Amino acid sequence: MGSAMRILKRFIGATMLISVFLLIINFVLLGVWGFTGINKGQSPMTVVQNVAAGLQRTNNTYSLASASADLLEKNLAWAMLINDTGHVEWKHQAPDELPSVYSLTDMAKLSRSYLLDYPVFIWEHEAGIVVIGYPKESLAKYQHILPTDWVSSLPLKLTALFIINIVLVLLLSVLIGSRLIRSIHPLTKGIQALAKGNEAYVEPKGILTELAQSVNGASALLQQRNDSLKNRDEARSNWIAGISHDIRTPLSMVLGYSSELEENGDIPPKQRQQAGIIRQQAELLRSLVRDLNLVSMLEYEMQPLNKKTIHLSVLARQIASDFLNNGLDERFELEVSLDDKEDAQIYGDERLLTRAMSNLIHNCIRHNPDGCRIRLHTSSNKRQQSCSFIVADNGKGVPQHELADLLELPYSSKRKHPRQNGHGLGLPMVARIARAHQGQLILTSDAGAGFQAELVLPSCS
Amino acid sequence: MKSGDLKMDDIKNKKLLLVDDEREIRNMVDGFLRKEGFTRIYQASDCADALEVCRSEQPDAAILDVMLPDGDGFALLSSLRQFSNIPVLFLTAKGEDEDRLLGLGLGADDYIVKPFLPRELLLRLTAILRRVYSPPQQERRPVFRLGDRTVDLDSGVVQYRDSECALTAKEHTLLSKLYDHRNRIVTSDALCQTAWGVNYYGCENTLMVHIRRIREKIENRPSHPEYLQTVRGLGYKLLVQGD
Repeated sequence: MGSAMRILKRFIGATMLISVFLLIINFVLLGVWGFTGINKGQSPMTVVQNVAAGLQRTNNTYSLASASADLLEKNLAWAMLINDTGHVEWKHQAPDELPSVYSLTDMAKLSRSYLLDYPVFIWEHEAGIVVIGYPKESLAKYQHILPTDWVSSLPLKLTALFIINIVLVLLLSVLIGSRLIRSIHPLTKGIQALAKGNEAYVEPKGILTELAQSVNGASALLQQRNDSLKNRDEARSNWIAGISHDIRTPLSMVLGYSSELEENGDIPPKQRQQAGIIRQQAELLRSLVRDLNLVSMLEYEMQPLNKKTIHLSVLARQIASDFLNNGLDERFELEVSLDDKEDAQIYGDERLLTRAMSNLIHNCIRHNPDGCRIRLHTSSNKRQQSCSFIVADNGKGVPQHELADLLELPYSSKRKHPRQNGHGLGLPMVARIARAHQGQLILTSDAGAGFQAELVLPSCS
Repeated sequence: MKSGDLKMDDIKNKKLLLVDDEREIRNMVDGFLRKEGFTRIYQASDCADALEVCRSEQPDAAILDVMLPDGDGFALLSSLRQFSNIPVLFLTAKGEDEDRLLGLGLGADDYIVKPFLPRELLLRLTAILRRVYSPPQQERRPVFRLGDRTVDLDSGVVQYRDSECALTAKEHTLLSKLYDHRNRIVTSDALCQTAWGVNYYGCENTLMVHIRRIREKIENRPSHPEYLQTVRGLGYKLLVQGD
């Protein structure tokens, strides 16, 4: 909805801007045209004033200044002087059809409008009234008679007009814009759903039919890809689950009979020892099958998580106790320093996390056959809302450039170096358990510098 | 230990039903159980067969496979439960967590994933039989010695020479828990949970006070404990000799 509101706001803003701009342009153009139209050449009033000033009386004859005469010429106008008695005293290029005597009524008429269809203008002169006339139909004369209060309220009215215009534009643009948004809305919803990888369907109608069809097409394609990916992952995971299931029954027989032979007193010790080796190897196979299945389920995100709130330190203490109770070889020293005050809690699957932590400790034991000191501790980072379970040893470590490899699955193309011992699933499993909990596994080590594994998990408050 | 031997004989006299569609597995388990002294073992290869044996022979316990040719072991358990309450142990190649929970949720007594060690099966089976068929008076809490003192968990009393000293309820609970896991580390969390229930987090200090009181009753030198030892950072351990 946010983007739709933004589009609507933009649309209204743009419409308002365009309207105001058009209004201003119109006012300016109107003003310019009116001004130039009225002042085309010399205005009649200036011409008549000029003529009145340029008309001189000397000894009963009148002479017009040549500048004034030129002005009349240029405007194709004629001029005459009517004295106080109404007789034409002087004329200049006046048409012959004009009468030579004018009554008061005639004077009143011609001062307001036309003289025989000639547009005429008058000005006072010491000897009477100067009249100049323009060719017929060359000028239109209008009388504007306006009440004073109308004139004084003109600015207010103009402002009101402007505001009404703006409001009208605003209303119209909101109306049109919201209609547009309403028609776009399903489309934006569809695209937003697509962006999240969800299924989207937009009913193709109106002006956006084609776009809607494209969105539906993209959605179908995406869904199809997802489905085929999921199918493939499921097939792989099921395949591994199937194989590990089918291995379990024959392996039961190997394990069962070999351990029985190992305990059978009638058999010579050497053969019993060999049966013991078979039993040990079968147990290795058993742990491999179990781990393989779990890692594959985690890898394809098919492992269900039974999540609950767990105190990290409680879990760590339990695991450390289990290791000690099950008889940790005395070459190894397990040191536990847990900070109870920090009270780091996580929301996770207890079995999987136990598995991950045990793997980390087993890892220290397996790779340091000469013994080492293993230190367990927990810490929490309030700012990043995370907490860590750290297993560090002072053993032989791993060269730094090989660390990234340890998190990849064995036989994976991402793995640059072949694995050295163990089945190589231990650390990848921990990394995947961390990922299933939205956490991560950070390894720090170098040759001879010990090995530290930090399981970082999001904490819950 | 004599009473235990008698009980073991009782257990080996129990009738067992073994259901698995793989003949080799049935034979192996059968052979192993017979070697361990069980004699009355019945076999079945599918659900129908198993139900028939249950009705006719009324076994005392059943070991069931989950995947059977005419249905799964969970359904078999449900139909079995309609007329019988015998303990049931699942032995299956399906190891996924949900299956384990489903099996235990339906009222199975244990769940073993193949491949398994015969010894593991035997231990779990006898544990179930003992739990279900042992006479109730066997539930008496044990009496044990710590040096020259005798702890009687049944009456909640510590005897030292001629004097007696009673344990409080909490001390008794804690000491019982430690004795149940004697010679093993019990985390302070597990002890707190036993004594104070679910919302136990953060009562380490209270626990320390109680442990101190227990030591005053069972140790000669409470400040230098000989039997109830602290495992730094983890919890406590009760050392009991000659078990």
